[in-house]
Amino acid sequence: MDPMKSKGAESQPSSVGPVEVVNSIRERTITENSMVILLQGLQGEVTTVDLRNESTARGRVVNVDAFMNIRLEDVLYRDRRGQLTQLQDLFITGRNIRYVHIPDHMDIMKTIESQLAKIHRVRNFGSEGGGRKEFAKKTK
Amino acid sequence: MEEREKRSVNSDSKETLSAPCSSPASAPEAGSKAEDGGADKLDVCSDKFDPLLALYSPAVQLPFPNIKCFNNVAEYESFLKGGRGRAKPENVEKRQRKAMKGVVDLERIERLKKLMVNNPVSESEEGESSSGTTRRKRRQKPVKNVLTRMPLCKGSPLGELYRCVEERIRVKVHVRTFKGLRGVCAGFVVAFDKFWNLAMVDVDETYREPLFGEAFYHEKALTTTRLFEKLSLQETSECAESVKKQPADSPKETPEGCSSSHAVGVRGDGRTADSKLSEAAETEKDAHKTLLMVQSPQTRQKKETKTYGKVHTRHINQLFIRGENVILVNPQPL
Repeated sequence: MDPMKSKGAESQPSSVGPVEVVNSIRERTITENSMVILLQGLQGEVTTVDLRNESTARGRVVNVDAFMNIRLEDVLYRDRRGQLTQLQDLFITGRNIRYVHIPDHMDIMKTIESQLAKIHRVRNFGSEGGGRKEFAKKTK
Repeated sequence: MEEREKRSVNSDSKETLSAPCSSPASAPEAGSKAEDGGADKLDVCSDKFDPLLALYSPAVQLPFPNIKCFNNVAEYESFLKGGRGRAKPENVEKRQRKAMKGVVDLERIERLKKLMVNNPVSESEEGESSSGTTRRKRRQKPVKNVLTRMPLCKGSPLGELYRCVEERIRVKVHVRTFKGLRGVCAGFVVAFDKFWNLAMVDVDETYREPLFGEAFYHEKALTTTRLFEKLSLQETSECAESVKKQPADSPKETPEGCSSSHAVGVRGDGRTADSKLSEAAETEKDAHKTLLMVQSPQTRQKKETKTYGKVHTRHINQLFIRGENVILVNPQPL
């Protein structure tokens, strides 16, 4: 088994730069209604991700998208034999994740609430200022 | 003839004014009683009015000399109804409405009030349409996000899970490997979603490493009972070893094993026993273990880890479990 198992260079449908909230509406609603939002709050933190194949990856979370695909940087990848590998960049498919360790200093509920507030802010950005809306609302 | 007609028309128009008319009529009547017959006959308002005489006499007193003259009754009627244009019924209505324009229509005002958006007078909020000038904040729709969806599950198995969240019930989550049970996570659930992704705190995970090769082929399905029994057996055996030989490698495992052996022992006892078959299998494995133990200590342990999946325990403060890996969630009785 190849220890350097960076799981494929799939094109990321989500954000490109350091944007906090995803631009796609579909992804936004998916994250808003699921626990992925907690993982999105982890962006920037150093965590351990336990994979389905019994290997673990410890590194800084760059990005998590709606399908739980995680991008890590400065990763220490330990395969199930215990062999360690250092990787600069690692992309993990959502389906391959078993656990994500959450840092002790993070409050779970507060993180979820702050992430929800960010999405809420982005969604309601234009409505009060009379800006362009994403979907034209039909007035009765 | 024309004048007579005019005066007759005038008399018609003054029908409503006949009351005040009669009083001036009575005055000249009273005044000139000498020629009362003549005066009467010339008086437009009196009963004895003689139009022919009035037309040819030089002095006829008209009660209202400056009145508008009409040629016929129809003209008069038209004048009554309004003025310019033919007095059709719809025109008449229009003119009436125009005349009433400035006047307050209460019914209309009430109707308009109901349509207004930010009006504090309006009773129900549902009646508001977006025809109002100011747009309301989109709080009419209930907010739906992962946190609000948690209590909505009441009545379903997820509702039971929500009860565990609310009442902070300790929970055991069975975690799966691709085939069968990997291990058990015991902790408190903080949040969950419809995929059974769980955010847990204070987690004690007990799991077994997967088997490979022949062992995998012959593997008997792992159950929780077997898992914990194996753990306890493993630890007691390791403890015994550490006391006897004090092995150099894997020092972390043995103290860990020894410390948790008590807790595990209790757990193993508390569990409902499986069939005797499993016990037999366990004893079989134990026999194998003891066989291997006879061999050299260093290599033996390595072989053990390779041939038989060891059971491990670890404590994690905050853990996120992807729902796909959850087999079942078992709330612990208080």
